[in-house]
Amino acid sequence: MLREKIERFLLDVQKPARYIGGEPGSVIKDKEKVSVRFAFCFPDSYDIGMSHLGMKILYSLTNQREDYWCERVFAPGTDFEEIMRRENIPLYALESLDPVKDFDFIGFTMQYELSYTNVLNMLDLAGIPVFAKDRGNELFNIVVAGGPCVCNPEPLADFFDLFILGEGEEVNLELMDLYKEMKSKGASKKEFLRKAADIQGIYVPSLYDVSYNEDGTVCRIAPLDGVSPAVKKRIIDDFDKVFYPEEFVVPFTDIVHNRASVEVLRGCIRGCRFCQAGFLYRPFREKSAETVCGQAKALCENTGYEELSLASLSTSDHSEIADILSGLIPYTEKEHVNLSLPSLRVDNFSKELMDEIKKVRKSGLTFAPEAGTQRLRDVINKNVTEDEVMRTCRTAFEGGYTNVKLYFMMGLPTETDEDIKGIIELAQRVVDLFYSISGRPKGKGVQVSISTATFVPKPFTPFEFEPQATREEIMHKQQVLMDSISSKKIKASWHDPSTSILEAVLARGDRRLGQVIYKSWQKGSKFDSWGEHFNFENWSQAFDECGLTMEFYASRKREYDEVMPWDHLDYYISKEFLVRENKKARAAQTTEHCRNNCSACGVSREIGRACFE
Amino acid sequence: MNKVRAVFEKKGRAKYISHLDLNRCMQRTFKRSGLPVWYTEGFNPHIYIMFALPLSLGYESSVEIMDFNLTEEVPFDVIKETLNRVMPEGIKIVKVYTPETKHTAIKYSDFKIVFKGSGKLLQSEFERFMEQEQINTVKKTKRKGEKLIDLKPDIKIISEECQEDRFKLVLRLPAGTEKNINPSLVTDLFVPFCSNGSEVESVERMLVISEKNEEFL
Repeated sequence: MLREKIERFLLDVQKPARYIGGEPGSVIKDKEKVSVRFAFCFPDSYDIGMSHLGMKILYSLTNQREDYWCERVFAPGTDFEEIMRRENIPLYALESLDPVKDFDFIGFTMQYELSYTNVLNMLDLAGIPVFAKDRGNELFNIVVAGGPCVCNPEPLADFFDLFILGEGEEVNLELMDLYKEMKSKGASKKEFLRKAADIQGIYVPSLYDVSYNEDGTVCRIAPLDGVSPAVKKRIIDDFDKVFYPEEFVVPFTDIVHNRASVEVLRGCIRGCRFCQAGFLYRPFREKSAETVCGQAKALCENTGYEELSLASLSTSDHSEIADILSGLIPYTEKEHVNLSLPSLRVDNFSKELMDEIKKVRKSGLTFAPEAGTQRLRDVINKNVTEDEVMRTCRTAFEGGYTNVKLYFMMGLPTETDEDIKGIIELAQRVVDLFYSISGRPKGKGVQVSISTATFVPKPFTPFEFEPQATREEIMHKQQVLMDSISSKKIKASWHDPSTSILEAVLARGDRRLGQVIYKSWQKGSKFDSWGEHFNFENWSQAFDECGLTMEFYASRKREYDEVMPWDHLDYYISKEFLVRENKKARAAQTTEHCRNNCSACGVSREIGRACFE
Repeated sequence: MNKVRAVFEKKGRAKYISHLDLNRCMQRTFKRSGLPVWYTEGFNPHIYIMFALPLSLGYESSVEIMDFNLTEEVPFDVIKETLNRVMPEGIKIVKVYTPETKHTAIKYSDFKIVFKGSGKLLQSEFERFMEQEQINTVKKTKRKGEKLIDLKPDIKIISEECQEDRFKLVLRLPAGTEKNINPSLVTDLFVPFCSNGSEVESVERMLVISEKNEEFL
């Protein structure tokens, strides 16, 4: 039995509890009594994957169905992988401890581009050929993917049988129903995939033929076998009523986000032009305060978690946030549960809201102005003014905080050295503000930490046309930043841009990158998002061998009429809107948020109603 | 306030839960149970749970001991059933009672160690092992760093059982706050000592003994 073999080596690896399952909340079924088995794979370590909310939702949702069994699979750490390869332990799922290659569906959630090589590594560890074309025509081992990265899944097209676009709560079950039905009729994989392509939200890459121009850009994406020329994403219409788990798998080891979490809203009204999630997850929908409170209590009771978080892209944009907090706080205080509110915006960070947070925890505060000058903030449509940043910091300092973390991006479109210096100037004004406050915390200095990330242009954003700043440009900007630091109270950290360059390449890549990913993985690339594992040289060589360049994908400007590799995928955001927003960005004109004024992005036309009444 | 002591098993998959993780796991188990447990009253209130002895990662146990407090009286069998309903796989409360003595009264602990290999052969090897004048090893301590100690006076053989392919040994070793000898100190020396080689298959805590040489209660 595989379990015995696994247990023989578990004490030789770090944190073995990650590899044996058995956590409270995990679902065990009799495999003889289920008709479809789904291996939900997160292409990163247990500690990261177990923190992912989408997996918890789809895990519970699938397991609600008596005849379906969804299990969890994560990428093993390199210490355990070495043992697995040496001892012929195939990749297995944590509930049954059965090999992944026994499963009907092998589903990956693609949350970030730098996890792509882990997919290949996990398939290989499972003993499953990494290329879809090498996996035969039997209706079994269907390898699928969902998540934000599949809005441009083209670099992954060679490895997957199909992609699930948009929200999975309905379409995942429809897909499994179809599989069950066709399997019982003895259908082939090909027949299944053709039928699956007719379900809204299912994209079967092998049913689309891509041709290229001489300059390397995409010429045409042709549908085959009568499939629709455009694949539309799926969304949940009634978000207040959508399935939400009342139980989570509660891990034994500590993980990144180890807490109960309720999704309070989906989508975002803000329209920050750099933010892919803000466009991909439209339309904005929220749960009622009553639903949120009910789900939060059920989750706390069933998991025993001592921390509860209200998750979303921008929790303070919930129209009933005050009702939610007043409904939850008496409960969380009585039950000794810490309430955490990630994703708060600077502009509506009120004294009341901070008092609520302070009841819970008194660590530092984090804000993301994203750009150092008002002009550049207008370009990216981050509608936050310096006054608002200052007002919020004042409230924070008066409330006893002494640490403020500010997040910025570097390499934004139209950015100049003045904008970079503006970052430090803003930080300096925050420092000055602290010392001007008479009610500031006594006997303590202030610490303003600046963290900068290299901007990565993403599909389905108004910046999808933009070149990424080159390595040389980023290095120059970092030098300007470091040289402008005017005070010991300001600390700036920055990162090597290599991973951001690769991220930009993969985000807007085409199908030809499949070979590059494959070659890079063969050279040993995996866990590319982990500093200690990332190897840029592997990637450079892989590009050379394929006769492609990173610059073509990362730092090339696209014309408005260029065919993008993802143009056949419909996320309800119209190209006209993106072009319009791109032009406004270049003119440093802002766009109001969706509640104030509809910017006609295309979503309301698709859903057949206004997003806001 | 009612002081309660629970004895629980930690077996199967649960043996991979580290001592640090076990504390967190029990906090959540108590929360799930809904029992009226007492919280500490500090800046960061948490459920008061006191474990008598740590158990090494990978060891099983039939007698793990933890103390906690209840703010209301709840019948022992109800506590046991309520907790067992929400326990993770492999952990099971076997006994709940009012503590008679303090954890500091713990003096010894019995471990069943199963070695792979011919029982007869390993038994004679263990005899030879114990015939050594001294059984010296280096023990790492938190305060003093590394310390050379002789294990021989502290190893007491409770029982031996020979099977064709297994050797089952029950040892009594010092445990508690004053002196603590982890069975791994013995097995780490004994395994390479065996001329034909062997391997530890499993270790399980069987009994906790008080200073009066009785079962700790």
